[in-house]
Amino acid sequence: MRLWSQFQSWIRAMAHRTRLESDMDAELRFHMETYAKDLQRQGVANEEAMRRAKLEFGGMESAKEECREARGVNLLDSLVRDVRYGLRSLRKDSSFTLVAVLTLGLGIGASTAIFSVVENVLVEPFPYPDANRMLTLEIHDAAEQQSSGRAEYSGPEFLDYIDKNHVFGRVIANASLEVLHDAGEGTERFHGVLTTPGTFEFFGMPALLGRIMEPEDYEPSAPPVFVLRYKTWVTNFAGDPRALNKTFVLNGVPRTLIGVMPPRFGWGDGDVFIPEKPSRADAARTGEFPPVWYLVGHLKPGVTERQAQADLTVVANQLAKVYPKSYPEHFRVELRSITDMVVGRFRATLYLTSAAVALLLLIACANVANLMLARATTHEKEFAVRAALGAGRGTLVRQMLVESLLLAVAGAALGIALASVGLTSMVSLMPQETIPAETVIRLNAPVLLFALLTTLLTPILFGLVPALRAARNNLEKQLRTSGRSTWGGSQHGRFHDAMIVAEVALSFTLLVGAGLLMRSFVALRGVDLGMRPDHVLLTRLPLPPEQYQNAAQVQSFYRPLLARVKALPGVTDVAESSALPPYGGFSSEIEIPGQTHSEKWNARFQLCSEDYFALLRIKLLKGRVFNATEVNDARKLAVVNETFVRKYFPGVDPVGQHVQLSDLQHYPDRVADPSFEIVGVVGDVLNQGMQQPVDPEVWIPATVTGSGLRGILVRTSNDPMGLMNEVRREVWATNRSVALTFTGSLESLINMRSYAGPRFGFVVMSVFAGAGLVLVTIGVYSVIAYATARRRHEIGVRMALGAQVRDILQLVLGHGTRLALIGVAIGVPVALTLASLMQGQLFGISASDPSTLIAVTALLLLVGLLACYVPARRATRVDPLVALRYE
Amino acid sequence: MDKQLELLQGTLDMLILKAVSLGPLHGYGILLRIQQISKDRLEIQQGSLYPALYRLEHQGWITSEWGESENKRKAKYYQLTTAGKRRLLTETENWNRMAEVIAGILGTKPEEV
Repeated sequence: MRLWSQFQSWIRAMAHRTRLESDMDAELRFHMETYAKDLQRQGVANEEAMRRAKLEFGGMESAKEECREARGVNLLDSLVRDVRYGLRSLRKDSSFTLVAVLTLGLGIGASTAIFSVVENVLVEPFPYPDANRMLTLEIHDAAEQQSSGRAEYSGPEFLDYIDKNHVFGRVIANASLEVLHDAGEGTERFHGVLTTPGTFEFFGMPALLGRIMEPEDYEPSAPPVFVLRYKTWVTNFAGDPRALNKTFVLNGVPRTLIGVMPPRFGWGDGDVFIPEKPSRADAARTGEFPPVWYLVGHLKPGVTERQAQADLTVVANQLAKVYPKSYPEHFRVELRSITDMVVGRFRATLYLTSAAVALLLLIACANVANLMLARATTHEKEFAVRAALGAGRGTLVRQMLVESLLLAVAGAALGIALASVGLTSMVSLMPQETIPAETVIRLNAPVLLFALLTTLLTPILFGLVPALRAARNNLEKQLRTSGRSTWGGSQHGRFHDAMIVAEVALSFTLLVGAGLLMRSFVALRGVDLGMRPDHVLLTRLPLPPEQYQNAAQVQSFYRPLLARVKALPGVTDVAESSALPPYGGFSSEIEIPGQTHSEKWNARFQLCSEDYFALLRIKLLKGRVFNATEVNDARKLAVVNETFVRKYFPGVDPVGQHVQLSDLQHYPDRVADPSFEIVGVVGDVLNQGMQQPVDPEVWIPATVTGSGLRGILVRTSNDPMGLMNEVRREVWATNRSVALTFTGSLESLINMRSYAGPRFGFVVMSVFAGAGLVLVTIGVYSVIAYATARRRHEIGVRMALGAQVRDILQLVLGHGTRLALIGVAIGVPVALTLASLMQGQLFGISASDPSTLIAVTALLLLVGLLACYVPARRATRVDPLVALRYE
Repeated sequence: MDKQLELLQGTLDMLILKAVSLGPLHGYGILLRIQQISKDRLEIQQGSLYPALYRLEHQGWITSEWGESENKRKAKYYQLTTAGKRRLLTETENWNRMAEVIAGILGTKPEEV
């Protein structure tokens, strides 16, 4: 109670400051004047009375001051005064302030931004509560170590697992389905996901609009419904809320849209979700393939993974007898959480970035510690004087605390700003497919707090040092110290040096990491694709199988389409193609008449039209490519690549020779005699992705067979994506049941698949390394500058005794270089260790690449020297006489 | 007159509370009353009176109010609060007990140890 009434009294006093002052003044005056009057009544003269009254009262001002303190009014005053003083002192020492704030900001900003990404992606990729107890079931063949196991189950099997297990609360499954949507003018293709009863409840996701499926929706007799994914609703349905409860024809069935999911829900990467209840009758269904279910179970509370593993192994063994064809003779059951499935792929990368973050934070803290200590020693004398003049320990400590807090606040503000900016730019650089659809990456509060706490503790801790030291009793000694010391022997000198060495080592590690990633990325970019992917639009066109079963029918679609698209303004070339470079399409066993071989011979092959090679600017090395007439006539001609010639026709001219693509005999639209005459050789085009060597490849006319999914490539003079709507219109004009899939520009596809990942890694690491380098430069500079400033006296002595500018420079630079070299020496083993962890990410360069190490060493030494140079030169410019007198 | 005794630390508060308990007073009046009751045997620093008054008011043992003094001048009068009355009683009790204990210690004869 007392505290409360005290607080109220304080509030009253603060609110009415002026009145308090005037009251106090009036009261004290009254006292003195009344006393003076009493004295007069006792016979003392007028002025004498007043004088004595004043004297005996004591100082009025000090009494007033004590009164103010009694009311607690002083506290705020002192704080405000401390803040003003702190600001002034920081502004005076502006270089220190700037550097300290920058260091803090950089450390906090970089680490928070990266940590947020790591935390959002690694630790919480799914927004579902308890996602790490949602497990998928995999049957692994015990004989094959590397196999990825079977995670798909038939309907009846799925039901059996539900019935027989004892460890899962709820079990759901999903199956993929290609969904064709009749959109009026044409057909759109969606990735459909069949969901089993309870799926949406399993994930705890309610609908954003409308409703989720209810148990009745899963009954076979129920009216057909579906639920949309948010992204699909926005892109394909214009985000129109009126689409709700309307009917859309999906796969020939009119379905009502009953709900739209919130943005974070994208289970199974589905665009549309369709209810399906697996039944034991599935096996008996004819005419279509029964869906294959991918199972996820939620562990009952209290059940451990180990128990689940044991239980499910028992169940699996029982089921192996019921479905013997689906189970290998010896198998084991593996359970993986859904989190693990997504994240497992790039856990290494993320841990690596966490390590980099930690390194950067350490460097930042070391720098700030150095700066604060250096400043502390400057303050020591000032505080000793103040203490001698009567400042209490509390006052001094409070003063330093306020100053450190001011720094901390400024650093925190800058750090938060940098973190937001950094996060937005990183998210825009992240490759789209490495994160599951559901993740939302945003600044993470606990992470930010962690970074703030760790980095801001440093200025506060190290800032208190001078205040605490001044409050000790050694005032006399402190007042008398002349500040003289010899090189390297100062009280904090060794600490400073150690910090610098540590910083250099850490920075070395970061730089090596960045350097390796950069060279890897450059090597990747330097790989010759063998073609020109710019300005090319592509789209895959899966044709409805009932309409297109043989080559003639397929060509009745493509011929007119190609002609139409070619006629569009801005189009320079069009081609039909079965493959999507840099991946090479189908593969087939081959035979070459006249050559015998013991092992199997394989080659990749593609179906294409006559303009394919010209469109992609593939180099013709020998012979010719097939022309329009030959394609029209479905002549059995072939074009091969260099690797093919090297492997199968070494030293022989392949033109005129024949190659047999045996697999074509087994295709639905089979080719009876798949022997093709080679008419030309082209340069290698990457067909196994960016990082694998090229396979031998054969191109044959697309008219030879009707089998095989193909699409069209369109080369445009302007932005290829600008023509997308026209191309779609032409496709639907040719046949409105054909949907366009995988539409995009070839360049961005390659970018996304092959370059984006490495580029991201390289950019992130470079940000760290860059920040680290800046911090180290600042660190070295400040330590050396401080050291030389403290040793002005000694430098003066040396110069008076005949040392030249050169000698002084040598002294200072020598100090700095020594520290840098030690740092590098420590850094090398650390860097090599971390780099070896990174090997999986590197292309075309080894983790222990010596030239990178040398380059980084040189860079650090250069930077260190530069940082030392300025203070060194400044030291030499000091007039020895001044220096000698300087204390 | 004997030399005035210096006030022991912390006792001024008690004295002020006692003085005010006998009736509302302004600061100067409190001083006079204490001198009067103590028969002038205590040495009281005038300057330390007001900080003590302010502190006691801040802690809620006394309240203040502007009024008119004897010679028609504005003066601030202090009054004991209920909490203050209780406080005075407790402090008096503590003081007496403490005095008894100290007296007992100081009066110990060598053989009683």
